[in-house]
Amino acid sequence: MKKSNSSPRSPRKTPRKSSRNGRRPWFWRFFFRFAAIGFVLLVGWTVYLDAVITSRFEGRRFEVPSRVYARPLELYDGAGISSGGLERELQLAGFRKGDGSRAGTYRRSGGHFVISTRGFQFPDGREPKRRLALNIYGDRVQDFSVLSGEASPIVRLEPAQIGGIYPSHKEDRILVQLEEVPALLPATLMAVEDRNFYDHFGIAPLSIARAMLANIRAGEIVQGGSTLTQQLVKNFFLTRDQTLLRKGNEAIMSILLEMHYEKEDILETYLNEVYLGQAGTRSINGFGLASQFYFGESLKDLDVHQIALLVGMVKGPSYYNPRRHPDRAMERRNLVISEMEEAGLIDSVRAARARGLPVGVSGKPSYSENRYPAYIDLVRRHLARDYREEDLRSEGLRIFTTLNPAIQYAAEYAVTDTLPRLASGETREALEAALVVTAKDSGEVLALVGGKDPQFAGFNRALDANRPIGSLIKPFIYLSALEQPERYTLITPVLDKSFALEFDDGRRWEPKNYDTKERGEVPLHEALSHSYNLPAVRVGLDVGVGVVKETLQAFGVTSGISEYPSMLLGSVSMNPVTVAQMYQGLATSGFNTPLRTIREVTDPKGEALSRYSLEVDQVADPAAVHLVQYAMQETMQEGTGRSAYYTLPKELALAGKTGTTDDGRDSWFAGFSGDLLAVAWVGRDDNGPTSLTGASGALPVWSRFMARVPQHGLSPVVPDGVNYHWVNSERQALTDEYCDNARLVPMIAGSEPDQTVSCSGTLQRRIQGWFEGFFQ
Amino acid sequence: MNTRFLMSAASMAAFLALAGCASSPGESIYVPIGGDAPRAPEPPRTTGEAEQSTVWRKSEQPEASEPAEPSPRSTSPSYRDSGESLSPAALSLIREADNLLAQGDASGAIARLERAQRIAPRSAEVYFKLSEAYVASNNLGAAEQFTLKGLSLAGNDAQLQRAGWLLLADIRRARGNVAGADQAEQRAAAL
Repeated sequence: MKKSNSSPRSPRKTPRKSSRNGRRPWFWRFFFRFAAIGFVLLVGWTVYLDAVITSRFEGRRFEVPSRVYARPLELYDGAGISSGGLERELQLAGFRKGDGSRAGTYRRSGGHFVISTRGFQFPDGREPKRRLALNIYGDRVQDFSVLSGEASPIVRLEPAQIGGIYPSHKEDRILVQLEEVPALLPATLMAVEDRNFYDHFGIAPLSIARAMLANIRAGEIVQGGSTLTQQLVKNFFLTRDQTLLRKGNEAIMSILLEMHYEKEDILETYLNEVYLGQAGTRSINGFGLASQFYFGESLKDLDVHQIALLVGMVKGPSYYNPRRHPDRAMERRNLVISEMEEAGLIDSVRAARARGLPVGVSGKPSYSENRYPAYIDLVRRHLARDYREEDLRSEGLRIFTTLNPAIQYAAEYAVTDTLPRLASGETREALEAALVVTAKDSGEVLALVGGKDPQFAGFNRALDANRPIGSLIKPFIYLSALEQPERYTLITPVLDKSFALEFDDGRRWEPKNYDTKERGEVPLHEALSHSYNLPAVRVGLDVGVGVVKETLQAFGVTSGISEYPSMLLGSVSMNPVTVAQMYQGLATSGFNTPLRTIREVTDPKGEALSRYSLEVDQVADPAAVHLVQYAMQETMQEGTGRSAYYTLPKELALAGKTGTTDDGRDSWFAGFSGDLLAVAWVGRDDNGPTSLTGASGALPVWSRFMARVPQHGLSPVVPDGVNYHWVNSERQALTDEYCDNARLVPMIAGSEPDQTVSCSGTLQRRIQGWFEGFFQ
Repeated sequence: MNTRFLMSAASMAAFLALAGCASSPGESIYVPIGGDAPRAPEPPRTTGEAEQSTVWRKSEQPEASEPAEPSPRSTSPSYRDSGESLSPAALSLIREADNLLAQGDASGAIARLERAQRIAPRSAEVYFKLSEAYVASNNLGAAEQFTLKGLSLAGNDAQLQRAGWLLLADIRRARGNVAGADQAEQRAAAL
């Protein structure tokens, strides 16, 4: 609808006695017509404003957030979980300790559990109510039985709700409902901003006058003249220009709002809309988010002085920004506390105590009250990537994620517990970390830690810290080489010797080993497990930088990869989640599996929006990947990752790779067991140097995590076309098991050495060999 | 749905029925964490929590330089010749999926099979079944990939290998890849 731009003016009949009698009829005709036109325009304009304001208001009210669920726990004989882990899972899913016979309760004695489930409507069918009994022994479920309800060898518990999000918004809001807000907040708000909120009809001419008086008395602005309703309208149309026209529009809209809606609705919407700060391009709207942003706390837990500070900021969020102008904010806060006291909201003792407290804002701004902010962040990005926006606008969606609470718990603990031990002094303060954990064969993201304070929603390093990956690239160089079995095997001698590259423009590049030593010829598997730089660069140049780049892309790297030879030492930058994506293919014998956080999204009626199915895509020869996995296991047993076994039981077979960049700016470790793949990064946000390497920074975090999760060791199935042989790599020959220098190594059929060396191993040693294992 | 598929599906079903009662060839080693680890600290609610300045005991000190050798591991890199068998729980989900497939509910079957895949991620049979469900829902591309994944886990089990190669041959032929199909059939014949 087009609107005329003339200012609407209320027609006022002001009978004027004109001395010019002759003109009277003409003049009145003209006047009435003009007034009628004005009146019609005003009515039309009001109808237009009414439509604008109600649609705006409706869009902001009673928005129901999407419910986000963790993955449901599956219970069956053989399921791997510790008793402590099961108890935590039950509590997260809302089970109470009790007799285990009423639905929603459980009983535990030692490792024996009796659980009464409530039943749950899953997207793929209903899980009925049941009563279960089981024992946990050696971190595994045993003697699983259904005591009552439909029998089944496998039962899903109802999933824990891990957060609520508004998927169609660009950012998380934290919407609050009036009844869950501490009563002191609206009371203070009215005392300071709009004393007659419950009595006026949208605008309050008297209070404007009163505010002016109060401000003159105090010598500064203590009260505003706008009602809360007017402020809300102003917030809807965030413009700073305060023209008379806008003020008029605001007044009309305020009156209209009051005509349509209850005071409580207006107040609640105000609490969720008011502008309370700015973080870069993001505005902080609503007291719920402001409470997180300034105090890192939930609104319902705020104390008197905190409520006073937030209410005080309504006047001017940037002027009274407590992080930037603490003194100014403090003064303003204390003024509000006095107002509270004067209005009888708090007694003088509480007021005095509140005035004596520091401003108390948190060091870093947090943006979410979700318990797993880094993980939820990835869920949001996957929603935006994979779902149509109009589907996400529907209210009250249910989002079923892949988060595994027990594993998330172990991941958070590994980061918070290890990081302070890695350094001291300033470096310790500056150290940050990220940890990504996925299910090896399904690509489901089980846990995500985005920083050293996992509960805090700030910078998400798992997704947004793009850092050079260093030696993490080496398995892909050697994989590219081993895919040519006629040229490369695990025992091919590679040269650990320095060299210089001359570029066309006269620049020279001279790569070095981390320990600056040179070892001459070493077998390929050792070059990888000990992470020597020089052979990796030589092999990479030999197979071709372009081929290595293609391998990385096949394994799911979509970001730009430089074609300079320095990429062979990992100058290419990636975030930890991308590294996990890339290592997924190595962990699953050459199948790229897209990482997922979402299993299903349903509307409130339980209708699925669309399903995310498991996908696999063979991107490399399983035989060549098996060889790389061998060398990565060697890394853990003899190479750069061997210190992991200080923390880990030696029965747990693992494969992995360290990565370090210049001056210890980035410390990486990526590795996998039979069940899990985990990628850890440790470094500083300012990209400053540390004294850490991959083995001394990220590996301890990774090992501590792995040590706290019961799981299967890695034991890859030998793929078709691979055979294990005893070889002597020095002589490039097959040999006998009991010879010196004999090593059992997988070889791709046809690439075996064609010579055999026998050895004169002592008789004693041969006898020992024959009977090995007999007497243990 | 041509009869060849039904044939390989039937042979697969017969095979899986056996798998349930076949003796399991050594499973992957499951490593418990040994007792309950101490409770992690409660999530920090406010700042000002005194951080304990813990220092690694010397014996735990991970060093960048040559660390003292940890207790020598007698093991060399681990591998296995045979794939992993299905647990009864996974098998029951596969049976449910079979029933759903028989009723023509391929997406319901896929949901069950994905549950089975999560609890038996290293058994070839689950992937062959997924392949079968994708054939039923006319997504031959996914079916081929799941067959390949199953084959990578079949190990030295000739019967399972053979079933997998024949399934792959059928899918490739249906996709018009005759050369690939012939190749897969030769692999099956060579077993």
